Amino acid sequence: MSGERAQSVIWWGGVALLAVFAAERVAHLEWAAVAPSWWFLLTALGRSWLLAVIAIGVGICAAFPLALLRVYGPPGVRHAAVGVIEAVRATPELMIIFWVYFTWPYLAGNQVTAWNAALGSLSVIAAAYLAEVIRAGLYSVPAGQIEAAHSSGLSSYQSFRFIVLPQALRNMLPALIAQLVALFKTTSLVYAIGVMDFFRAVNVTKNAVFAPYALYLVLGAGYFISCFAITRVVRWFDPQYQLVE
Amino acid sequence: MTLDWSILWQFRQALWSGLLTTLWISAIGIIGSTLIGVTVGCLGSLPSLLLRRLTGSYVELLRNLPMIVKLFFLYFVAGLPAIAAALLALSLHQSAYIADVTRAGIRSIARGQVDAALSLGHGWPQVFRYVLLPQVLRVVMPPMTTQYVAVVKNSAVVALIAVQDLTFETQQINVETFRGFEAATAATVLYILVALAVIGAMTWLQPRAVRR
Repeated sequence: MSGERAQSVIWWGGVALLAVFAAERVAHLEWAAVAPSWWFLLTALGRSWLLAVIAIGVGICAAFPLALLRVYGPPGVRHAAVGVIEAVRATPELMIIFWVYFTWPYLAGNQVTAWNAALGSLSVIAAAYLAEVIRAGLYSVPAGQIEAAHSSGLSSYQSFRFIVLPQALRNMLPALIAQLVALFKTTSLVYAIGVMDFFRAVNVTKNAVFAPYALYLVLGAGYFISCFAITRVVRWFDPQYQLVE
Repeated sequence: MTLDWSILWQFRQALWSGLLTTLWISAIGIIGSTLIGVTVGCLGSLPSLLLRRLTGSYVELLRNLPMIVKLFFLYFVAGLPAIAAALLALSLHQSAYIADVTRAGIRSIARGQVDAALSLGHGWPQVFRYVLLPQVLRVVMPPMTTQYVAVVKNSAVVALIAVQDLTFETQQINVETFRGFEAATAATVLYILVALAVIGAMTWLQPRAVRR
C-alpha cells in the first residue's frame, strides 16, 4: 500500500528530526555535574534490579503453595487463601511497604533494616500477584485433559504432576516474566522507607548538584531501558503475548 | 505488644479528611485517565500507520516508567503545584494501560462487522453507536475495573509529595504517636473498602451500560 509507505516515511522522518533535536538539547544539559556520580547511580540501579529479582524469587516460592491452596485446598483453607491474595492485591503497594516496616518490630521485637523491610514487602506483593498468575496457568489446562488422565488410570497426583503442571508452567511463563516489569517499577517505592535504590540515588544526587533535567533523563532512561528489556524477553518467549499488569 | 485502637478514634478527623482526599483524587484520576486513555486507544485503532506508531510510542513510554518518576518530575523538576502534579501523574500513568485495554477491546470485534454495517448504508456514527460501542463496552468493562482499582492504589504515592491523602495521614499518626501498626491497619481497611466500592460500582454499571 502506497499510503502505508508514505506514512512510514513521515514517521521515520519525524523520528530522525526529533532525535537530532533531542540530541542537541541533551548535549547541552549539565553533564559535567552528573559525571562524578556515575558509579553511585549505576550501583543503585543494580540494587533496584537485585531487589526485584530476589523478591520475584521469594515470591514464586510463596506463590506456588498459595495458588495450590486456592485451587485445590479444602473450602475453609481455599477461602483463607483467596482472602490473603485479594487483600494484598487491593492494598496500595506503598501501604504494604509501610506495613512491613511498621509491623516487623511489633512481631519480631527488634528493629528491621530498611533493606530487609523492602525485600519483605516486595516479596509479599510479588507472592500475591504471582499466585494469580499461577492460578491462571493451572486453569489454562482444559478440564477434559484431567478427566482423560483419570480415565486412563492416572492418580490425581500423577495427572497433576505429568499432565497439568508441565503445560501450566509453559503457559504461565510469559506472565511470570511480565510480573518482573511490574515489580521492577514497584521497587521505586522503597524510596519512602529510605533504601538507596535507583530512584532515591538519583534524588540524592539531585539535591547535591544542580542538574535536574540531566538526572531525570538518567532516571527515566534507567527505568525505561530495564523494563523495555524485560518486555522484549517476554515477546521472545511468546510473540503473541499481551502485557497486562 | 500492646495495641491501642483508641488512637484511631482520637485521630478520626485526620483519617476522615485523608479518606476524602484519596476519594476525590482517585475520582478525578479515573475520569482523566479514561478520557486520555480511551482517546489514545481509539486513535490507535484507526487504519493509519502513523497514528498506530504515535499511540504505540505513547503507551510504551508511559508504561515503562514508574508512577513515582512521573510524579516527582512534574512536582520537583517541572515545578507544578502538588495537587496538579498528583492529578496529572495519576491520569497520565493509568491512561497508557487504559489505551491498551481500549485498543484490545476494539480489536476483539471482527473487522467484517464494521464493513458489513458500512456496506448496508449505515454512517460511521451509527456504526460506532450500534455495532462497536455495545460490544466493546462488554469486553472492556471488566479490565477497566482492574484499572480503576489501580488508580485508587496508585493514588497512595501522592503522599510522598505531601498531598494529605489517607497514606499521608497514616504517616502523620505514626510520627506523632508511634502507632504505625494501628494507623496502617485502619488505612488498609479503608483502601480495601474503596477498592470494593469501585468494583461494586462497575458491577452495577455493567449490565446498564451494555444494554442497548
